[in-house]
Amino acid sequence: MVIPTHPARRPLSPMLRLSSAPLLLLVATRLLAVDFNQEVRPILAQHCFACHGMDEHSRKAKLRLDLPESAHGKGKSGELAIVAGQPDKSEVVRRIFSHDSDELMPPPESKKPMSDKDKAILRAWIAEGGKYQDHWAFFAPKQAPLPKGSNHPIDAFVRARLDKEGLKPSPEADRYVLVRRVTLDLTGVPPTPEEADAFANDRSPDAYEKLVDRLLTSPRYGERWARRWLDLARYADTNGFEKDRPRSIWPYRDWVVKALNADLPYDQFSIKQLAGDLLPGATPEDLIATGFHRNTMLNEEGGADPNEYRFYSMVDRVGATGATWMGLTLNCAQCHTHKYDPILHTDYYSVMALLNNADEPTYHIPPADLAQRQADHAKKIRAAEESLEGKFPGGPAAVEKRFGEWLNAESQRAAKWETLRPSQLKTTMPTLDVQPDGFILGGGDITKSDVYDLAFDRAIKGAIAIRIEVAPHPLLPNDGPGLTNYEGPLGGFFLSEFQAWQGDRRLKFDDATATNDEEEDRISDAAAAPKAAANRKKNNASAALDGEMSSGWQVLGGLGQNHVAVFHFDQPTDLSAGWALKMLFEKHYAAPVGHFRISVTTDVQATATGHPAEIEAMLAGAAPHDQAKLRQRFLETAPELSAHTKALANLRKQVPRGQATLVMRERPAAHPRPTFLHHRGEYLSPKQAVPPAVPAFLPALPKDAPANRLTFARWLFAPENPLTARVAVNRQWQAFFGHGFVRLLEDFGYQSQPPTHPELLDWLAVDFVKSGWSMKKLHRLIVTSGTYRQSSIVTRELAEKDRENLLLARGSRFRLDAEIVRDSALSAAGLLSAKMGGPGVYPPQPASVTSEGTYGRIEWKVSEGEDRYRRSLYTFIKRTAPFAMATTFDAPTGESCIARRDVSNSPLQALTLLNDEMFMEAARVLGTKTIAAAGDDDGRITFVLRRCVTRPPAPDELATMKAFVAAQRARKVADQDIWTAVARAALNLDESITHP
Amino acid sequence: MNPNITRRHFFQDCGVGVGKIALASLIADGAMGRLAAAGSGMRSGLPHHAPKAKAVIHLFMAGAPSQLELFDNKPELAKLEGKPLPPSIINGQRYAFIRPDAAVLGPRFKFARHGQSGAELSEMLPNIATIADDIAIVKSCRTTQFNHAPAQIFMNTGFSQPGRPSMGSWITYGLGSESKDLPSFVVMSTGSGISGGAACWSSGFLPSSYTGTRFRNAGDAILNTSTPAGIDPGTQKDTIDLINAMNDRRLRLDGDSEIATRIANYEMAYRLQTSAPDLMDLSSESKETLELYGCDPKVPSFARACLLARRMIERGVRFINIYNEGWDAHSDVAGNVRNNCAKTDKASAALVKDLKRRGLLDSTLVVWGGEFGRTPMVESSVSLGRSQGRDHHPQAFSMWMAGGGIKGGQTIGETDEMGFNIVKDEVRVPDLQATILHCLGIDHERLTFRNAGLDFRLTGVEPCHVVKQLLA
Repeated sequence: MVIPTHPARRPLSPMLRLSSAPLLLLVATRLLAVDFNQEVRPILAQHCFACHGMDEHSRKAKLRLDLPESAHGKGKSGELAIVAGQPDKSEVVRRIFSHDSDELMPPPESKKPMSDKDKAILRAWIAEGGKYQDHWAFFAPKQAPLPKGSNHPIDAFVRARLDKEGLKPSPEADRYVLVRRVTLDLTGVPPTPEEADAFANDRSPDAYEKLVDRLLTSPRYGERWARRWLDLARYADTNGFEKDRPRSIWPYRDWVVKALNADLPYDQFSIKQLAGDLLPGATPEDLIATGFHRNTMLNEEGGADPNEYRFYSMVDRVGATGATWMGLTLNCAQCHTHKYDPILHTDYYSVMALLNNADEPTYHIPPADLAQRQADHAKKIRAAEESLEGKFPGGPAAVEKRFGEWLNAESQRAAKWETLRPSQLKTTMPTLDVQPDGFILGGGDITKSDVYDLAFDRAIKGAIAIRIEVAPHPLLPNDGPGLTNYEGPLGGFFLSEFQAWQGDRRLKFDDATATNDEEEDRISDAAAAPKAAANRKKNNASAALDGEMSSGWQVLGGLGQNHVAVFHFDQPTDLSAGWALKMLFEKHYAAPVGHFRISVTTDVQATATGHPAEIEAMLAGAAPHDQAKLRQRFLETAPELSAHTKALANLRKQVPRGQATLVMRERPAAHPRPTFLHHRGEYLSPKQAVPPAVPAFLPALPKDAPANRLTFARWLFAPENPLTARVAVNRQWQAFFGHGFVRLLEDFGYQSQPPTHPELLDWLAVDFVKSGWSMKKLHRLIVTSGTYRQSSIVTRELAEKDRENLLLARGSRFRLDAEIVRDSALSAAGLLSAKMGGPGVYPPQPASVTSEGTYGRIEWKVSEGEDRYRRSLYTFIKRTAPFAMATTFDAPTGESCIARRDVSNSPLQALTLLNDEMFMEAARVLGTKTIAAAGDDDGRITFVLRRCVTRPPAPDELATMKAFVAAQRARKVADQDIWTAVARAALNLDESITHP
Repeated sequence: MNPNITRRHFFQDCGVGVGKIALASLIADGAMGRLAAAGSGMRSGLPHHAPKAKAVIHLFMAGAPSQLELFDNKPELAKLEGKPLPPSIINGQRYAFIRPDAAVLGPRFKFARHGQSGAELSEMLPNIATIADDIAIVKSCRTTQFNHAPAQIFMNTGFSQPGRPSMGSWITYGLGSESKDLPSFVVMSTGSGISGGAACWSSGFLPSSYTGTRFRNAGDAILNTSTPAGIDPGTQKDTIDLINAMNDRRLRLDGDSEIATRIANYEMAYRLQTSAPDLMDLSSESKETLELYGCDPKVPSFARACLLARRMIERGVRFINIYNEGWDAHSDVAGNVRNNCAKTDKASAALVKDLKRRGLLDSTLVVWGGEFGRTPMVESSVSLGRSQGRDHHPQAFSMWMAGGGIKGGQTIGETDEMGFNIVKDEVRVPDLQATILHCLGIDHERLTFRNAGLDFRLTGVEPCHVVKQLLA
């Protein structure tokens, strides 16, 4: 990296930054010194660093041009690369201007020739001494003194710059434009005509500030700004890839809305999302917040390798973290050291290691009354249990008689079992821990072919059978008893083979029984389903002995799935210390067991009785009789009561729990997940383990804290971190002006274009931190500036001098986001619902959008009532078949982290606004309201236009629209249809879908 | 007020917004005709060399057809049937469903040689056999992915996960459109659902207007091309005129060139309302043509999609994807191939013949193939009820290409006796992509786009090459 020198920022000729065409001229006649940061480094980064940068593997000729001491020294050829002040003696200059294709740099085969302009800049820079500077973004921002001329800091900086360019700010926008602009920006919906008039007619000096303060407290504020954040979070309501099944993570979306409405400081807002689970005393809300990085996709296609896709999720998380908080293209270092920025290949995996030590469970958010509901439910179960006896046909006498018989018979069947604790546990990947009750709890990562090796020190003479008990556990997916967490039945497992070994000798089992031998396989692979169902063999315990991996014993998962399998040795077998069990779990999805206990018996009658272990022990005389428990067990298994016991069993499965959402959970200290460097970024090429760390060019992680997600999240907000506040401020600025000070919101590296207003960006970044990272204060500061309040009219002068409005001599005019376009139409028609939160909804769209062409098709059952008209934020987002209108207007589909949306302008957008069912409905409703609102055409037209574009129409607009109305009347179009058509035209106006 | 600023000013005086405007994808010398005198919105520097093809029809056999039942005859497998392959051949390859030690399954169909070139084809392809001398068969295709969605996305975008631009997007981004009033990149789907979903025709980080436009089977072919019920054609026309008049007024006031683009897009939208139904109306097609394809005009089918593709080619559409998903033969590979060939063999051949007799084949590149191949080993599963199937096989599969830039009547590449590994002329997916771009006059290394700090290209970072043998 660059040796730090004082980062001097000099004002630069405007044209250098604004456009490239006049540059050549300027270079030839330039009077100002070349600015290294602004002009030179981007060229070196783009053309030179790939071979002459920090990546030692790809470095050519031992020359580094990223370090001044190397650049000013000799290369392999012995020539001096850069001779200060003497371009003609500098090898760099000779090479870039060379006509010899063997000597030319960059080499022709790179197919990225350097432009004449860039060559001239490098030459001029060397002529001026070839001095290096620090990269502005990698040093903490400082507030420069405010230039004179305005009390508002934003205007002070912007106007100082305009003065230099000889431009004047535009006049303040018309009050209707202003109220429309700020209402759309802060709430994502247009103002009503009444709201607009209230502002237009409020002549108090602080009318605008009052308006802003009102908008900042509107619940719509959080909804509008949540949508932008969700682009970064790549939020969607399905898993993506082939199956693309629905997921429940909308509580995270709602958390974002609430946090923004509450103005949760940006540091806390971020820390909770990255590491809420690690906060001391983490609340359910803190856990929900960790959904940010659970929005990665999940591939549930038959046969996919789950760990491969988990790796891709980690890659996605690193990239999204870099883009969202750091403004770094970390993703560029996945395969090799960054070609431009000082980020090593190992740095990439070190950042990954910081984020990589979490499990990814489904969390059931405990509702406030959960304890009460659970107590009520327990009471119901107890009542059902206690009522059994009274329902027994024949009354107490019959119960007594049958209980006696049952006790007799079941005592004959029961066996004495001894629980065994393995002395050694070995697996292909999952973690196993022996619990105090002898159950073994699994966790960690799982594969499509997992093997558990359990060794036992306990010697047994004459062993008859081995028993596996499986039971639910709250830490397992869907409460277990298996570890399956994708594609297959969640919480299930599939025991393909079960083997016993004494040393090298395979011990023989001759049969097996289980308590669920009737359960059928449940296939999630649609291709095989219907035809195969007929000849599908039932999976059962003996299938775990048949040597065939595609059959086995399985439990499908879910609450209440206690089951037992008993494997019989072919003869009484002596087991001596060191004997072992091998359990193989193989399926086209990962399916190892997650909560199980091993026992052994020497009783010949051993079988899978179906009784809980505690009861069986009593029955077998291995434990003292508890009459009440035995009696209850009898009643629950008595065929006479089967109708009632079924209800009881169902009740037990329906334990109340909260809404599911996806969260992060740090792994237990005993089982950290190692992170490896992957050669060329390939999943199948893991190399050495790398420790969690941040790139060396940035401030170090604190030494007194564990290097984990929480420490990393807090480090992002440490005062010395140069990037976080700048990146956040730049992104907010873009939302209001259509572009940031730095054009690429996610790249502040060496290649990035320097900021248009560096002092202002830094001033705002420091102020943002000083304000306690308050988004609302930042937004208020921006929208109260004169710069923001300017008219957006593009004069001929501005069109020619600054077409992209980089200098901010006017307000910015741009098409609204997809969601705002739709919400504006619903709002104009008075249809928009104010209901907040909850699961995704299904507003009308053509059925073919989700029924055709996607594998994981869903029926788009249009929501009824209010849900038909909810804000677009709440529309269900299906990744492989996204909501058509949203896609047409550039909304992302949650496949990758998006800092800035494309803003396209296409005929398909016109067709949508003209003909889509929802927009047509809005037009009809607005047409009907229009007829009711006023009697004459002028009044009606005014009514329609004001609901769509806010301002009152001009006389010539009235005339144009009246002519349309007259033409329709002449063609005998019905009145309702005429006003529907007028409303439809109004909803289609460019102005109706534009930030004015 | 800036009365001096008019649409004309923006289009002719300033020449602004060319790149920003959606012309390259949907428009061209249609709505943007006044603007782009060159006529097509082609990116500067393109074509990199003289193109042979102007357009591509990619017949995407999604689900992955069995090359061993169609193109790659392996009698040795019949001899080995029932025995496992040696582990040295398997070499650690991961599979979706089967174990690597699964037994071999012999070819289910007979093969014969066809045409002057003597191309070896199975009895399931009697119609493709009749165009044997027009097509170049590649028996040595190889991919890196062994699951459908990632492999389909890889074939389309050069990357195995969603989020990158698809081939159609890259090509229309580079070359623009030749169509006056149809989208330049069209996607049709005739089989069951597509595993890769919308990621297969996404514009990724390219401007979103380069996204493939779906032509649908039910309702409007292009969404929202029908005027809503209750709006008569006169009102529709007047409405669009009114919108444009009002927008034109706003343009003159505000001076924002985006308004000019919007006006052009409403004109284009109006034309699409006619051009899309015209395209779909097959009443002008002769009975002989319908029979050639095996097309019932009323029923959405692969055959109808192929015929529509020819009509699109005639109208200047640049890139057409037809997905026929359904080749995923985990069980009963013979039945699967029989069914899918019944749907696709005749129409695929008809498309090539029809293009040829109309003089369009020379400028149209037709590509036929799936996302990977199928294993020489059998797939059977007791618990899934599968038998006589084949699992996913990324190491070797077959495709064919015909038309613009391709030398027909040849077979390229060989696999080993078991059809497991490629032994001659390996063609990787990026090589295929580079070759397709080459036929269109594009150097795959020079069509790049800067995103998130890197210059991306369709063919990715690994070295790859144009398959010279394929070229005419």
